[in-house]
Amino acid sequence: MTPKLNRSVPGKELKWRYVALGGAMLLGISILIVQLYRLQVVRGDEYAARSVANFVKVTRVLADRGMIKDRRGEVLVQNRPSFDVFVTPAFCQDCVDQVLPRLAELLEWTEEQREKAVADVKAARRSAPFRPLAVQVDIHRDALDLLSGHARDLPGVDVTPVPHRSYRTGPILAHLLGYMNEVSNRELETPPEEGSPYQLGDYVGRAGLERSFESTLRGDDGLRRMVVDARGRSIPDLQWLIPEQEVSPTPGNNIVLSLDMRLQEEAERIFPGRAGAVVVVDVRTGFIRALVSRPSFDPNVLTGRVTRQQMAELSGDPLRPMVFRPTAEHYSPASTFKPFTVLAALRSGQFFENSTAMCQGGYRLGSRTWRCHSAHGHGVVDAGNALKYSCNVYFYKVADSIGLDAIAEVGKDFGFGSPTGIGVVSEVPGIMPTRAWHDRVNAKHGGYSRGMALNSSVGQGANTATPLQVAMAYAAIANGGNVWVPQLVEAIESPDGKVVERFEPRLKNKVDVKPEHLALVRDGLSAVVNEPGGTAFRRRLKDVKVAGKTGTAQVVRIGAVRLRHEQREYWQRHHGWFAGYAPADAPEIAVVVLNEHGGGGGSSAAPTAMALIQKYFELKQEDRAQAMGVPAAPVPERVMAQLEPSRNERPRRRRQPVMASQAPEVTVDGEVRPLQSAPVVPAEPVIPGEPSATVPVEGD
Amino acid sequence: MEVLQVRVDKRMIANAPWLLILVTLVIAVIGVWNLASAARPPATPVWKSQAVYVVIGLFAMGAVASLKSQFLQRLAIPIYVANILALIALRFVGHTAKGAESWFALGPIRVQPAEFMKIGLILVLARHFHEDDRLKIGGQGLVRLIKPMAWSLLPIGLVLVQPDLGTALMLVFTAMTVLLFAGVSRRILVLLLVGLAVVSGVIWNDFARESPPDDPHTTLVRHHLKRHQAARISGWLNPESDLRGTNYHTAQSRIAVGSGGLTGKGWGKGTQTGLSFLPEQHTDFIWSVWAEEQGFIASVVVLLLYALLLMCCLGVAFHARDRFGAFLAVGVAAMIFWQLFENVGMVIGLLPVTGITLPLFSYGGSSMLSVFLALGLLVNVSMRRHVF
Repeated sequence: MTPKLNRSVPGKELKWRYVALGGAMLLGISILIVQLYRLQVVRGDEYAARSVANFVKVTRVLADRGMIKDRRGEVLVQNRPSFDVFVTPAFCQDCVDQVLPRLAELLEWTEEQREKAVADVKAARRSAPFRPLAVQVDIHRDALDLLSGHARDLPGVDVTPVPHRSYRTGPILAHLLGYMNEVSNRELETPPEEGSPYQLGDYVGRAGLERSFESTLRGDDGLRRMVVDARGRSIPDLQWLIPEQEVSPTPGNNIVLSLDMRLQEEAERIFPGRAGAVVVVDVRTGFIRALVSRPSFDPNVLTGRVTRQQMAELSGDPLRPMVFRPTAEHYSPASTFKPFTVLAALRSGQFFENSTAMCQGGYRLGSRTWRCHSAHGHGVVDAGNALKYSCNVYFYKVADSIGLDAIAEVGKDFGFGSPTGIGVVSEVPGIMPTRAWHDRVNAKHGGYSRGMALNSSVGQGANTATPLQVAMAYAAIANGGNVWVPQLVEAIESPDGKVVERFEPRLKNKVDVKPEHLALVRDGLSAVVNEPGGTAFRRRLKDVKVAGKTGTAQVVRIGAVRLRHEQREYWQRHHGWFAGYAPADAPEIAVVVLNEHGGGGGSSAAPTAMALIQKYFELKQEDRAQAMGVPAAPVPERVMAQLEPSRNERPRRRRQPVMASQAPEVTVDGEVRPLQSAPVVPAEPVIPGEPSATVPVEGD
Repeated sequence: MEVLQVRVDKRMIANAPWLLILVTLVIAVIGVWNLASAARPPATPVWKSQAVYVVIGLFAMGAVASLKSQFLQRLAIPIYVANILALIALRFVGHTAKGAESWFALGPIRVQPAEFMKIGLILVLARHFHEDDRLKIGGQGLVRLIKPMAWSLLPIGLVLVQPDLGTALMLVFTAMTVLLFAGVSRRILVLLLVGLAVVSGVIWNDFARESPPDDPHTTLVRHHLKRHQAARISGWLNPESDLRGTNYHTAQSRIAVGSGGLTGKGWGKGTQTGLSFLPEQHTDFIWSVWAEEQGFIASVVVLLLYALLLMCCLGVAFHARDRFGAFLAVGVAAMIFWQLFENVGMVIGLLPVTGITLPLFSYGGSSMLSVFLALGLLVNVSMRRHVF
């Protein structure tokens, strides 16, 4: 069987082809080796790094946000677990068509909520399919049970406990504490100056302390590095591949407020008006002890996802609950301004302790008469009596003699017309008018005229102030001329309760005032409460000697017929003021109560102030008894008086500042930012500076 | 007729390509060892079955080696036809995996007929050139090429419709290598170069040419390709694009290879491997496991082993007694080379991704068996180079 043999012997012509073929193959293999060299040797380190990046999944460990406490350690704001519903788009099959509608049904979503969730999931499916997306925060326990019962129908849906901000006091202090909500896209793009950058879905303090102390409260998030496989599943057995697996989070620091919650609650409880403000401040330091703004809102509603309807309710309320009245709204200070007119009179050198005015029920200037609230007049009044009876005529005479600028100078010294610098909340500066101011603002109507000085001298006209300004000014009267910067935060505390930073009192202005002038005013203020005939005499306390001044700010012009309080529409009723301090002889606290449309200050504001002062001293007594180990029993005031020397230097619970060098600087945000909802116009529709034909009715 | 050559000549033992057999075994053993790492728990320990396939392959090799050479020649066409029939049958009873009908499911065993088709084609081509008297005269013209091209195009077409572009390309390259080796006329050579230029031009036009997005230029071939095929080519040309989608495989594969560095991460310690960032890592992408865990040096060593294997094959061809043996050996060498080149090239990001196994390394019975059968043919040829 070899016929084809000879023909088929491989010819010589094939031989060189073997060489060529072998060479070609070796060339091919060389190409592979060259590419391997480029990958493994030249770029080996780069790819090694990329392989590590592949299997290391970094998750954030959220830092606990700091708490907010009152000065006695009562927790006002804390974190509580909230059960949030998350959808991971990558694991959620038939998400839009089945899972989300099912979820909407179980959680009873509105159409709006459902649409938002669908849109969010669709967007996330492209951008971050493996990141759990929160579709609803804080579901109810029943809903939690319902969802876990239907877990089979809900692939990719998880319910995870997430720390959620809880405002335990509800509407109390809402403006001050603030609230939080989700970080905006713009904030995501510009990282914060301090701390780690925000991530989608993070919450940021939006108002009040939550915003001002954001970086303090927030803490630093930690990291957890996990070895994961290609599907993102954690592989604990291979965890050794990563040397440094965890960076633990640093919890945020706590904020200790200067507020005493017991006093605050009492103030909230007894304040009678629908709207208004209460301020209690320590005259020795400027630290605020209680601060009420009525009406308020519930920050728990705003934190998380406020619905459109809830927002509309809040912003549509005619009482404007979002406006923080102690600082963001200004009112005519009315008679509470009078002590400063007295100080201006004394400073001018034209009036003395015994200078008097004759009140016959009015003061004539040009062709017009500025009436006093007492139609038949107070007779001859000196400075003390002018304050005691709140006689307008004395102040008209002062204003007519020394002019507006002399009054404004003292007013400005005491902080009127400029922001207090509280920082945490937005502030309006109020108006302390001067001649120049009237000339500028009222240029069309001839600028300044002397009648304007008369209006301002009794805290009417263009003269406006915030309740906090009034409180700080009264504190300055009480403490000898120190206008403090009001402060809310006493200390910053580490999570384990050690004081990290303690804030010292900050002086805004030391008023240059003669002690005898102050003494005269203080006697007058004391007479208001403690002498028969004083406008707050009926409201005096049995145990504590209070000094103060009532005020009634008119809201609309008084017509030909004087209407009684009850006969007026709510919006046309007077604002009632009381500003004072106690004890009159050794002042500790200054109190300001403003009752919007509450009527006369003596009846609508003074009782609240008195009750608060009473409460303050009761609490003090209680605390002292507790400190001495005696059960809190009512101690007669006479005994208290004997203990008096130790009263001012009672053992403080405070510790020395840990970081004294960093101490002051409370104001995270000293900027004054008039809220849109708090327009810079006087609360009353009296055009500033207009020599109004109205009579600034005054006094009680 | 005596099929098996039972009487073993002394010279036959001496002429057996021992080096080739040794290199084959070394590569296969390294492959099994590598596979044990690639498919480590909790994955199925497929290396055990692979070891069994190697043993089966050795027996198959021995069996083929003991066939009489005349019988082998006579068997060429029946084997070819049987394979063709198998490919046709696949259209009707095939098992679909990953969108391609390329498997016969025989109980637990799955057979991939295309793997054996390569051998059938090589046999037929070797037989064709064995009987072609005019080879000595000079290069083949178009007319003379018609017959071998017809032999080749039939299986290529059948594999292409499965669709298994990768295996079809392997058949094309293998057949082309054999045809070129047989010698072609200058005109054909020029034609071939022109064809190459045209293909390059089409690829450039369809995949690489920049065009304004609002004015999509006309593509010549791209719209006829399956979506995944087009994506692979464009992924090959722009490896850094769409890393999560189309280029996931290539990107992860390059990361695996690159992160191996000079000396590798160590057996069983490859993170790309262990954390399953690479699908198909024990079959088509097995080379990435080796490169990641053993590094550059060991990779070069194995590539040199393959080179040695190829040289052995060509050596068998060089010393072959007749043209049948010579072309058989050249065909097998070409088959192994092209698979090696395409598979490793795709793993290290040089070539587009196709579903081609790495001979002796990838997991798979059909692949392993076909390589051993092919090498068995060479052993057969080598042993009989002095026997007439």
